[in-house]
Amino acid sequence: MTPEDPAPHARATRPPTPPTAPPKASPRHVVARILQYLPAVLLATALLGVWEAYVDLGSVSPIVLPAPHEVAGEAWRNSGLLASNLELTAQEVGLGVLLALIFGFVLGVLIHLSPLLRRAVYPLAVGSQAVPVALIGVLLVFWWGFGVLPKLFVIVLICFFPVVVTTVDGLASVDPDQLKLLRTLGASRWQALRFGELPAAVPAALSGARIALAVGVIGAYIAETSTATSGPYAGLGHQINADINALQTPRAYAAAAVLFVFAIACFYTLALAERLLAPWAHQPRGEIR
Amino acid sequence: MSAPSTVRRAATSLLLACVCAAALSACGTKQDAVSAPGTKPFTVMLDWFPNADHASLYTAIAHGYFNTVGLDVHPIVPTESAEPLKLLAAGKVDMAISYEPQLLLARDEGLKLVSIGALVQRPLTSIIALPSAHVRKVSDLAGKRVGTAGIAYQEAELHTALQAAGVSPGSVTESDVGFNLVPSMLSGKVAATLGGYWNYEAIQLQQMHKNPVVIPIDHAGVPSYNELVLVVRSEEARTDGVDLRAFMQALTRGEQQVRAHPAAAASLIAKANPSVQEKLQLASIEATLPATLPSDRTKPYGWQEPAAWAAFGRWMFTQRLIHSDPDSAGLPPFTNEFLAGQGI
Repeated sequence: MTPEDPAPHARATRPPTPPTAPPKASPRHVVARILQYLPAVLLATALLGVWEAYVDLGSVSPIVLPAPHEVAGEAWRNSGLLASNLELTAQEVGLGVLLALIFGFVLGVLIHLSPLLRRAVYPLAVGSQAVPVALIGVLLVFWWGFGVLPKLFVIVLICFFPVVVTTVDGLASVDPDQLKLLRTLGASRWQALRFGELPAAVPAALSGARIALAVGVIGAYIAETSTATSGPYAGLGHQINADINALQTPRAYAAAAVLFVFAIACFYTLALAERLLAPWAHQPRGEIR
Repeated sequence: MSAPSTVRRAATSLLLACVCAAALSACGTKQDAVSAPGTKPFTVMLDWFPNADHASLYTAIAHGYFNTVGLDVHPIVPTESAEPLKLLAAGKVDMAISYEPQLLLARDEGLKLVSIGALVQRPLTSIIALPSAHVRKVSDLAGKRVGTAGIAYQEAELHTALQAAGVSPGSVTESDVGFNLVPSMLSGKVAATLGGYWNYEAIQLQQMHKNPVVIPIDHAGVPSYNELVLVVRSEEARTDGVDLRAFMQALTRGEQQVRAHPAAAASLIAKANPSVQEKLQLASIEATLPATLPSDRTKPYGWQEPAAWAAFGRWMFTQRLIHSDPDSAGLPPFTNEFLAGQGI
């Protein structure tokens, strides 16, 4: 076998691919799908009910805690403002998390390949998670001004870590027999990585990506509230702080609710993308659906 | 090529396309300063979110007063109150709105900054309490809990007020409530707060029919100071006098416009900061108007009273907030030379 023809390795080592064709949408399937979401809907409704009762029956000021119906009313009345700010925040999250995934994955692979790099970089990567962003906000603005760059940096700083950790663990978890087989077949280090370790690491790396995306939303809040900005629309995080300051607590809660739903939407969109991009990573093993 | 892999590739391309589109549009949102032809970009970092205190600035921008004198002014919103002077000293903005005490602290740390005009003549910082806390005067705070924003000089102001009222500061429990001054009073966690403004938080509470007790700190024994000042780098104060004089001239016209049409100014603030209520901004602008002009009517808008600056600097020094008395150390922390009718 020549190095120019690596495909047989791939066929030999890639885990079996389950059929990806979605089941036909018969009425029974539709009902089953709706029933799947029932526990989440019931729990959310119950929590909202407790919250509503707590505010209505207690004497808590709406500035301290607004009732869910007030929050919903504010969301309805300010849908335009919330949409403008969500658009900005969503762009920051999308781009920031993408950069974090690339950076985190590449760093994870490099750490896996080089024990020296592992010793040098890993402690610093762990330490980076303890850096208070408020401390470096001014520095980031000093470097990159009042636009989107300082915010992206903050999101990458917050999101890259879970990707690094899960990638490194995933690369280390490859079946040693598979690597032995690859070596027997004369695979180079690169080929062993490409056809043995990387496919095995993908499920773990994707878990890291899901964590990164969920954390990315709060990362965007931190980014927007720790770096100075110009213009009246500067994202939901900025709006929440401006609302809190203006005692518009119900609207701040409405903005937070939008972030809440956005984080859930991002998480499940990525889960869906995973099924399409890496179906072999979706063996039924207690997956989150 | 098998069907699943075609689907996968198509999905990959679609996802990449979405991400690239998001990336490109995010790049497009970078708000670069693009100046009107023939004008010079001039960034002003505010002290806080846009509010009634910035009415003259936003009015002057909206009416093109700055453009008329060759400046294209862009306001920048900070994330915390110490940030504007840091970024000003670092050369990132051309002017910062800050507080007289904050400027004296920054100068004490060696930053070469100077105030060129007062936006508000006297302290806005107040001791605020709700009627339920039974605090009518400063001496009523004895044995109670007071919320502060965790700013050292404001805590010193509280101590001075307590001492002036004959109360030992040790008998009062202080809690740092961050910027949740009003919520902490409403939830009954603190009896009073120091850090809220008589032209803002007090009016917010008034509009909520809470009838707050408001004691401005200059009425409680703390020497008066200019709550909001316009700060530039000392270097620019020496070299860019023409621009700074032009800035003050345009801002003065803005202030006159606010005085004549406060409601229009309130609507501009609400446009700049969609989080605020126009009604509150209008009430706040009207309440602040008497404090925007110097009490000595022969002096121009923006005037900084040398005797008051000296007295307040000395107070900060005796409170050990700064290492040397600004009145006896080097160049003064303010200059009136760019105000109308002043200068050489």
